[in-house]
Amino acid sequence: MVSQLSSTAVPQKSGHTKCMEDTPTKALSSALVKVAEQRDKTAFAVLFKYFAPKIKRFGIKQYGSEAMAMELVQDTMTSVWRKAHLYSQDKGAATTWVYTVMRNASFDALRKIKSKKEDQISEDIWPTLQESECSNDGFNDHLQEKQIQKYISCLPKAQQEVVKGVYFQEMSQEQLAEQLNIPVGTVKSRLRLALQKLRAEMGDSHD
Amino acid sequence: MIKHHPTQEMLTQFAEGTLPASLSIAISAHLELCPCCAKQVKALENDSSERYFVQIDNDLDGDSTTDVDFAEMLSNITSDDSITQVHRYIPQSLQYQAKEVIVPRAIASIERSDFSQVGKLSRSRLDLEDGELRASLLQIAPGGEIPNHTHTGFELTLLLDGSFEDESGTYVAGDFIWLDGRHSHTPRTENGCLCFTLVNSALHFNKGLSKLLNPIGNLIY
Repeated sequence: MVSQLSSTAVPQKSGHTKCMEDTPTKALSSALVKVAEQRDKTAFAVLFKYFAPKIKRFGIKQYGSEAMAMELVQDTMTSVWRKAHLYSQDKGAATTWVYTVMRNASFDALRKIKSKKEDQISEDIWPTLQESECSNDGFNDHLQEKQIQKYISCLPKAQQEVVKGVYFQEMSQEQLAEQLNIPVGTVKSRLRLALQKLRAEMGDSHD
Repeated sequence: MIKHHPTQEMLTQFAEGTLPASLSIAISAHLELCPCCAKQVKALENDSSERYFVQIDNDLDGDSTTDVDFAEMLSNITSDDSITQVHRYIPQSLQYQAKEVIVPRAIASIERSDFSQVGKLSRSRLDLEDGELRASLLQIAPGGEIPNHTHTGFELTLLLDGSFEDESGTYVAGDFIWLDGRHSHTPRTENGCLCFTLVNSALHFNKGLSKLLNPIGNLIY
């Protein structure tokens, strides 16, 4: 069994590995911890080498398309790189964590095809990635404004339009409804959702 | 106690992310109320990760992705050093019948219309664009009843708050009630309730005057 391999050790031989006798789960988990704690690129390369071909195969099975499968590899591994800080070993094996990241990316991709919605609701359906506490101290006003802009840019597009229209262009909800050609009720509900989200993002202490 | 749960097959597909969005939302909401199914889903995710990431490793030959493609992707990803900020989720609540209840996160994350009322029923449609599936929040005021009906497709009711009863018994918050054309029922609530409902076609009302409701079956759900 693989025991305490140094985390940057390659858990499988490069090239065409046949059957792996050892599950490299532990080595993968400590590689992921290195990415989480130190943004360690070598450790990430280890993860990439291990997971990328497997994610690709999963994608091909799921969509029957090589191009989409490669997109899934790209989406999943980008999330692993950017969200590794949310992982810790007490959340379970790296293989399971990466699987949930892939499953979520795949779900959002399928939804985009089926309903043309780009709302990325997977993280609300499987909220495992969002459990870390938010610390919101230390922003002065200037930084905070930038921060708000950043949060707004993370909202779904339809909600962004409404927030920007009402708060930056100072339109009334009725004017905005007319301009966007949607009912006023929809403007209201988008605004409500957007504000709820922003408030949640900002730790609910700013209103 | 919750007595009605999603089937094993549904949980498996949920864990694999292959169910339609509106059904995934219903199951996610059920998991918030049912630790037992939540635990099962964790185990299923674990099984799937073993299946896709650990056990197999034989047929990666013949993969046309060149090492160059992957190497390029890898360096693209790590060339951007930003991380995704994730923030604490604040539960959202909903006022209904002079009560305040927490809306499960998956449901709360979807835009929905204002409640529109028909008699003792009040419905808010979720804006999901999920094919023929229609998801709603449904409030039934105390003493409210939906006339006896069958379903031309299926009807899923996830009870979020309060209780209701029909010919088969009484339901409590968290119950995940799946009915199809084989079932006919007359749900009734004594003290009022709030449900998440999902249907894939109109209800069919069976008796007397309530047959007149058939055209508005679409409106209720």
